[in-house]
Amino acid sequence: MNYDFDLGSVVAELPYLLGGAVVSLQIAVITFFIGALFGLFGALGLVYGSTASRRVIRGYVTFFTNTPALVQIFFLYYALPDLGLLLSPITCVLIGFVLNSAAYLTEIIRAGVISVRRAELDAAQALNMSGAQIVIHVILPHVARTIYPPLSNFFIILVLGSSLAALFGVEELTGRAINVSTTNLRTIETFGAVAVIYIAITFVASLSLALLGRWAFRVRTRIF
Amino acid sequence: MLQRILTEAPEFFSTYNMLFLLEAAGRTLGMTLIGCSIGFALGLVLAAVRGSSSRPLAPFRTLSIIYVETFRRIPFLVILFIVLYAIQPVFPDASLTLIATVAICLLSTAYLSEIIRAGLESVPQQQLESAAVLNFGPLRTLFSVVLPQAWRVILPPAVAFAVMFIKDTALASHMGVVELTFAGKIFVERGFSPALGFGAILVLYFALSWPLSRLGVHLEKRLAAARNP
Repeated sequence: MNYDFDLGSVVAELPYLLGGAVVSLQIAVITFFIGALFGLFGALGLVYGSTASRRVIRGYVTFFTNTPALVQIFFLYYALPDLGLLLSPITCVLIGFVLNSAAYLTEIIRAGVISVRRAELDAAQALNMSGAQIVIHVILPHVARTIYPPLSNFFIILVLGSSLAALFGVEELTGRAINVSTTNLRTIETFGAVAVIYIAITFVASLSLALLGRWAFRVRTRIF
Repeated sequence: MLQRILTEAPEFFSTYNMLFLLEAAGRTLGMTLIGCSIGFALGLVLAAVRGSSSRPLAPFRTLSIIYVETFRRIPFLVILFIVLYAIQPVFPDASLTLIATVAICLLSTAYLSEIIRAGLESVPQQQLESAAVLNFGPLRTLFSVVLPQAWRVILPPAVAFAVMFIKDTALASHMGVVELTFAGKIFVERGFSPALGFGAILVLYFALSWPLSRLGVHLEKRLAAARNP
């Protein structure tokens, strides 16, 4: 078994691949923030909503967390044209990712919402704290401490998960790797380099999220 | 769309198609089960090595950390590609299912090792010291002191992880492994409406995954109650 590794052809494509990494991060950030917005409404609905709205949200979360994102996007991509709705691949992928992450983020944020205990709110009122003070000193620290670690974890999962956009022809990091490897025919080297880029960007993301958490919310997260 | 589904339904739900779907679901479940079992065994080894404090194991400790941190930061799709192109030149006859299962094992080892490590670390340090005082060897400490207590912490997230993996195996369809997602693609290519084909696949994934995630929630409640009475 002789195989000559040839990294030269991959190094030449590095700027192109790194551009793909930026697209991957963009997909993850967009998905995260829109998903978190829906997740916030979902969580509030689950905790404070009426029975009917609770059932609807519970059903939504159960369905989307128990089926693969890939098949959800296939469904959107191939079935929506039947309804006369023709969307570009990137739009379909983003809609699929947002719908999917909204379900997971609902669960994560719900855990934060229920972590604030009634007794602590009563205690804050007894100390004559104003509404804003209660939010800043009692509610937010609790919620942040509970949900910051799973949220930053979920962001990393989103960066990795954005790779399946490649299967719909979106040119993010994995998609560009497929493009490069079909022209230079150096698949192992190309995907090896891409794996290293993924490790690097998720590591930098974990590190900056951990530092941000420490600085802004005094959350101690471990990076390793 | 609904009209089209209704007219196609009798043809879609034929005996042969249902057997084909059942076989595909079996393959999805099989890959998940094998991947999680092997991943659990190897993950236990990695976690035990990482938790040990013996000097000769020090280099392996570093290797275990590097392995886990590497494979938890590479997308499954990229691992699939690398494993596919690394195995095929050496073993041209390896089946696609086998290659996908190898990729799944590589990934599940890393994730399950982290879950198991959290479980092992939940056992109080004093008990390890007591075991050392009683002259227990490292293996005996692991199997008769640590694991009997740690499994309560390990099991619920491990089941949740298996649920995640049922869904991740969908990516293996891109390589041509005939599991559920690929079966859906075949139906759509045969001319069935995508809403019907992929809709059936979504329902089947749900049927595989939902009972398992219910089990995970149930275990979490029961075992957590048993831990803090």
